[in-house]
Amino acid sequence: MGDVSKLLKRCLQVIFLVSLMATAVFLTTRPDEKHVYQASLQKAHLLATEPSPRIIIFGGSNIAFGIDSKLIEKQLDYHVINDGLHVALGVAPLMEIERYLRPGDIVIISLEYYNFDSETSFFGQPQYLADWIELAPERIWYLQEPIRQMPSIYTIMLQRKINRVLQYYTYGGSLDVNRGIYTGGEFDEHGDFITYPDRVNQKFTIDSSAYPITLMDEAYVFLEAFNQSARSKGATVFYEAQAHRQSNCDSTGLRQIKRFFSRIRSKTTIPVLTDIDHVCMADKYFYDTAYHLNEQGREIRTQRLIDHLKTALGME
Amino acid sequence: MLFNSFAFLIFFPIVTTAYFVLPHRYRWALLLAASCYFYMAFIPKYILILLVTITVDYFAGIGIESTQGKTRQWLLAASILANIGMLAFFKYFNFANENLSGLAGFLGWHYPIRDLAIILPIGLSFHTFQSLSYTIEVFRGNQKAERHFGYLALYVMFYPQLVAGPIERPQNILHQLHEDHPFEYQRVADGLKWMAWGMFKKVVIADRMALFANAVYDEPHKYTGPALVLATVAFAIQIYCDFSGYSDIAFGSAQVMGITLMKNFRHPYFAKSIAEFWRRWHVSLSTWFRDYVYIPLGGNRVSTGRWALNLFITFLLSGLWHGANWTFVIWGALHGLYMVTSTLGSRLRSASGSMSASPRLAQLRDGMATLWTFALVSFAWIFFRAANLDDAWYVVSHLPAGWDGFLMQVIEYARDGSLGLNEIIFRSIGLLTPLARGEIILTILPLLALVFVEIRQERGNFMQEISLQKTQLRLVYYAVLVFTILALGTSYTGVPQAFIYFQF
Repeated sequence: MGDVSKLLKRCLQVIFLVSLMATAVFLTTRPDEKHVYQASLQKAHLLATEPSPRIIIFGGSNIAFGIDSKLIEKQLDYHVINDGLHVALGVAPLMEIERYLRPGDIVIISLEYYNFDSETSFFGQPQYLADWIELAPERIWYLQEPIRQMPSIYTIMLQRKINRVLQYYTYGGSLDVNRGIYTGGEFDEHGDFITYPDRVNQKFTIDSSAYPITLMDEAYVFLEAFNQSARSKGATVFYEAQAHRQSNCDSTGLRQIKRFFSRIRSKTTIPVLTDIDHVCMADKYFYDTAYHLNEQGREIRTQRLIDHLKTALGME
Repeated sequence: MLFNSFAFLIFFPIVTTAYFVLPHRYRWALLLAASCYFYMAFIPKYILILLVTITVDYFAGIGIESTQGKTRQWLLAASILANIGMLAFFKYFNFANENLSGLAGFLGWHYPIRDLAIILPIGLSFHTFQSLSYTIEVFRGNQKAERHFGYLALYVMFYPQLVAGPIERPQNILHQLHEDHPFEYQRVADGLKWMAWGMFKKVVIADRMALFANAVYDEPHKYTGPALVLATVAFAIQIYCDFSGYSDIAFGSAQVMGITLMKNFRHPYFAKSIAEFWRRWHVSLSTWFRDYVYIPLGGNRVSTGRWALNLFITFLLSGLWHGANWTFVIWGALHGLYMVTSTLGSRLRSASGSMSASPRLAQLRDGMATLWTFALVSFAWIFFRAANLDDAWYVVSHLPAGWDGFLMQVIEYARDGSLGLNEIIFRSIGLLTPLARGEIILTILPLLALVFVEIRQERGNFMQEISLQKTQLRLVYYAVLVFTILALGTSYTGVPQAFIYFQF
């Protein structure tokens, strides 16, 4: 047993030293102050403090760029929170929303087709989740399997912290090179991303992208479970189509898209707001990616959403 | 189950602890159950393939030992047929079918047989060869037939080397499995060190090199010479660190339990000739082909022409063993060609008398020979890595292209003066995104550490040197190694990258 104790002692000593090094990195490396995920803190704050009844719109960046919350607020007289941020976070932020739901709240889910491409796309990509959790450690509990995912999330976080430090020093004390126009300080008081109107004249090449919509049962089970949980709290859930560029619709195929919506209708009890004829929007309404609407597109999409909501809520 | 997965991090200590806690007579059952679990983490039903081949080999082995004359040969043939049959069906059926179908199409014939919708069982080529070596060695009288089915199954399925070798011989392993291995601090600690070093090679170096190699080889047509050369060298490093990393982990995890596996790699990129390279690279496979293919074909005790043919056939088969694709066949053929020409060359050189040279000149000559061997091996890796022959041909034919533009770009960046040397190079070959600066540093530092350790290991026993250091210093070394694995491993996606050789 002497040998076993010796080995255990040595292993514990190594683990202790490794923990010290990791702790040093965690303590000395702060999150990037301008990272776009900083906006998630503002959105979480809105979820916690904005009085009910509220309309909470959730999705990826297509929501962040594509919703005019003020217009909705004006026409429907609800407080509006734009909780769209990044497609790669999957449905993890939805669990944050669930925590803050109150009676009378309306949640509009508008996931991108990419989210239905694979389990990781739906539940969130670990490297992005690590960045998201770094800003608010309690978010680890919003993951699908927190205990199982914890070691890899924190390992990835450690790696990304080290990489960030290297980036910072090798680029002369700045992380600006990592950023595009989508940064954390550019959201308004509702959570809408507001910088793009100034950039609307900028030329972008938009790649066509079409993701296979894999009809994963886990996704619909998750969405329905969320719906039931929201209902039990006195909230209502709707589903709305993502902003989808016409040429991307063509490459994805309308048949696929129709199949997707019929699946949502048959596998969940979440009402779909979108009229299938309005799922795709003309290319001219998008500016930098296939999912980011320009100002004109944003207004059209928001107005359609308002009209559909009025019908669904019997406000007409 | 992958060695670099979280599941293995749980699996290994549990199995190892249970192994030392259990009395010796039950350990085979524990290891066999653990090996089944390890294998079934991939595709559970494929365990039946192993069950069939082990059962056939079990009875064939006993039959071979207890009979005489033709029966023994028939039993050996049955064993070979069962093992090779499995391999042929799962690995080569679709390859053969596609080629026959293509040929029939070319000749305008109707060819009705369709490809089979099968996934290649993981590690099939490895455990098939290990199984085969058992019956062959029993047939040759070098190994007694194993009467305990469990031990034979464990010999084939021992989890550290089940899916990617080393391909062991029964004489080396079977008796070790029968022996009692009590817990010994030094042995267990050494095993753990090998595992950590293997993990470093895999997740810190190989997976990072894969970023460069994949970026180019996934779309080679977008690149020219400099990027193609860089990606090929990156792949040469990747495949070495990936496979030798796996082998180190296998070696270490077996050593923890008191089983000594064959060392599969002996710093192959220090080889001064192709023949030497093959004495250092994937040793267990090279010796398998030597013992069971090359020597039975006649080896070198035949005419020069026949010897060259034997060598070429052996390497051709070795290429085909790696994968059912013409790229692997060409890779094997290239090495066959290298071997024949380099051996003939060295014969000619020794016939004309050895050249005497000053030690410094000899050192220079050795260095040049090492570089030349690395270049030849890397050239062959193009065929190994390319997705198909078209891509391979593109890479080969465009290696000389684009160098003038690259040099102009380098000069331009150098004049500008705002970029470092590494960035100038990567930017000039079109492989640098704005985010890659940190990645390049994270690539170069571990690579330098690897080269340092490899040189020290080549000259002596670096592990031994470290173990002579003061305890506190050693602990810091190991902690830095583990921390580097955690902090610099490229598991950004949270999904561990499979080992390249698992596909074989």
